[in-house]
Amino acid sequence: MACFEIKDLTFHYPAAPGKAALDNINLTINQGEYITVCGKSGSGKTTLLKHFKTVLTPAGQRTGSILLDGVPLEDVDLKTQSSQVGYVMQNPDSQIVTDKVWHELAFGLENLGVDQNIIRLRVAEMASYFGIQNWFHREVSELSGGQKQLLNLAAIMAMHPSVIILDEPTSQLDPIAAADFLNTVRKINLELGTTIIITEHRLEDILHASDRVIVMDKGRVLGVDTPLNIGKVLYENENPMFSAMPAPVQVYYNSPDACRAASEGKCPLTVREGRTWLTKVFEDKEPQQTLPDEPSLDPSAENALEIKDLYFRYTRETPDVLKGTTLAVPKGTVYAVVGGNGTGKSTMLRSICRILTPYRGSVKIFGKKTDKYTSAELFKNNLAMLPQDPQSLFAKTTVAEDLAEMLGPEISARIEKDIETKGFENTELDPEILDVAALCQITDLLKSHPADLSGGEQQRAALAKVLLTNPRLLLLDEPTKGMDSIFKLSFAQILSDLKARGTTIVMVSHDVEFCARYADMVGMFFDGNIIASDTPRRFFSRNSFYTTAANRMGRHIFPDAVTADDLIYLLK
Amino acid sequence: MQEDVFSSYNPITNFIFFMGAIVMTMFFMHPVFALCSLVCALVFYFTLKRTKGFKSLKFSIPLLVILTVINPLFNTQGKHIIFKIFGRPYTIESLLYGLTLALVVVAVFYWFGCFNVVLTSDKFIYLFGRITPSISLILSMIFRLIPDFQRKTTQIYNARASIGMAGDSSSSKKEKIRNGAVILGTLTSWALENGIMAADSMRSRGYGSGRRTSFAIYKFDVRNIILILAFVFFGGLTVVCAAMGGTEAEFTPSLNMAWFGNIWTITGIIVYAVYLILPTLLNVKEAITWHVLRSRI
Repeated sequence: MACFEIKDLTFHYPAAPGKAALDNINLTINQGEYITVCGKSGSGKTTLLKHFKTVLTPAGQRTGSILLDGVPLEDVDLKTQSSQVGYVMQNPDSQIVTDKVWHELAFGLENLGVDQNIIRLRVAEMASYFGIQNWFHREVSELSGGQKQLLNLAAIMAMHPSVIILDEPTSQLDPIAAADFLNTVRKINLELGTTIIITEHRLEDILHASDRVIVMDKGRVLGVDTPLNIGKVLYENENPMFSAMPAPVQVYYNSPDACRAASEGKCPLTVREGRTWLTKVFEDKEPQQTLPDEPSLDPSAENALEIKDLYFRYTRETPDVLKGTTLAVPKGTVYAVVGGNGTGKSTMLRSICRILTPYRGSVKIFGKKTDKYTSAELFKNNLAMLPQDPQSLFAKTTVAEDLAEMLGPEISARIEKDIETKGFENTELDPEILDVAALCQITDLLKSHPADLSGGEQQRAALAKVLLTNPRLLLLDEPTKGMDSIFKLSFAQILSDLKARGTTIVMVSHDVEFCARYADMVGMFFDGNIIASDTPRRFFSRNSFYTTAANRMGRHIFPDAVTADDLIYLLK
Repeated sequence: MQEDVFSSYNPITNFIFFMGAIVMTMFFMHPVFALCSLVCALVFYFTLKRTKGFKSLKFSIPLLVILTVINPLFNTQGKHIIFKIFGRPYTIESLLYGLTLALVVVAVFYWFGCFNVVLTSDKFIYLFGRITPSISLILSMIFRLIPDFQRKTTQIYNARASIGMAGDSSSSKKEKIRNGAVILGTLTSWALENGIMAADSMRSRGYGSGRRTSFAIYKFDVRNIILILAFVFFGGLTVVCAAMGGTEAEFTPSLNMAWFGNIWTITGIIVYAVYLILPTLLNVKEAITWHVLRSRI
């Protein structure tokens, strides 16, 4: 039975009447299917998802029709739509309406006017199914991001929907919470037969679970196929989304025909399948290639950052978060700190920036203790940090004005006045602003409102703002959070440009793949300390779980290959 | 921390008790009644807060002393003069009145302290949301937003501090005001955007699709009825005793108050104390029950 049927759907936003946001879409989604929608930002994924619910459908010009169980969606009454079609959004925080977990679970049912006793039963049922009973009475504000998103899902499930639509639900979560969430989604699909329509950056976690994958580009459906074949579609179209595919898929399509023959035309989707495939390839032959040496670091380089025996705790009663943290980062390197959630990585960065005050130990920047700097000295030409949430940095109505804020009150006031009186086109922006905008690839976005940018664009605009302090040491807190693979590529480009200018970069990240690819040194943060620190290849090849997918897939044959590119090189 | 037994009763029961306790405390301007209320309030407050409650003494003891000694400075009536200050008499009657007043104020302060611990935000919403379902939702959303705003403000401040844009101790008043205004601006645009998403989330879950019901997790069972009846009985008796003049007290110009010889005062004090100590007694009873159960094992 068809759950959703879309016929010839075309949609134009009022702001861009010439450009179709959705262009002649025809789709049939069957009851119980798990559908993954992928495409780069701006390809129309979210616009498409919003068309599955009339209350969320954006205003604009629309032709074509959408049928829910054979009835045109606009004829289905609000109550039925609300209970039948659930929608989980990106940001776990802003979807939550009430202050208590139990109240949030009941919220949808209250709206439908369901009887007290039935609500009691449904809420109890959902709390048990999702393992929420232990935090059932808690305040919403005390929950972690992963718990919040799970609560959002449970609150929707309490209404017994037949379809759940999820718009990048894990982009704000750390990898462990994300995997947990996606497993729950998978469980709902398998155990209750609920139809799932999901968009995600982390394809490696959901691709193998999907029945079909829809690839979108410029508002059109580029292809609809099984996960096994979709890699081929992307590879042959040279679609940039190919870089979002799981490592086994990337390696498979980029390897020579002789290697691919070993899997009998079946593309490996998971690490396990990738391993089996590589084992077969090297059943009767020895690997011939070896990786070129990693670029060696200059051992004589001075340290840009030196942390010694740093101790910190948030309150007197709580345990130490930093327990003698020690770290040295040579000038001109990109140093990545990886590690689990809540281990204190961000606390370390905040201690370096003097937002937090450690009770023991010292932080030296360019050979001088941070507390010997005045605030003006420290944050001019020396140190700056890009926070996890880039939006916190925007204070003005255009990106250009926000950047101008960094150049002092006089310049800032002049530019603001010029934009207001003469219009943006006739305003002369300072060369510093134009330089940094070019570096961060946001020249076209200067006149936009910061809130109108996509997540990846906001990150780059915030980086531009931070870079205007001209830091020699740049700290990045989870820079790739919520970024799709294409944005990550351009972000990596910016980092390497910065490095070429001599900037030292220290980032903390959950994104193992990104660190393996772009960092010069990687350190593992655990229990308040940096316990291992090495070049990415040596670091990751020594770990067996906390390592990249490519390494887990190929380590039995190529122990030192850590990125998909390494494997592709070795298979040539 | 061990859960308080009284808190596990229905919010309506909790509310009735506190209203009774606070109103009676405020009306009985009699030193013995006031002292009785304060002692019961303190006992209940410390069972709720444990050692954390001791912090409040730093505030309440000075308040008690100051209110007591300050009254005779303004009210010079009374026969027994202790000494003269600024040429005005400082009298025992007035001092006693000040003490009674101080006891009442501090007792009410502690009852409100207990009220805050027992009637958490969700119970509060349950009580006042019964007027209409939309009020309960609005209250719940407000209680959700307050911690969210606090968290976001810190986040914005830290983000700006880490690029040196939040000023420091050396920045001028003008700069500080400007920095505050920028943070407020960022906070506002965040709040607006958040509001749009929250509205989407509400509508997508059927808000506005018809009549709402209001769900609460509290039951109203027999033990609540029994406890309310007990409150009505002891509270009622206290009021009767007060009406018969058991709580009468005149301080100035001369001391004239119902004392222990008066049958209404004696009875009044006893039933009043029972009323006020009931929530604590519930905890004691529970502790004994557990102790007995455990020793049987």
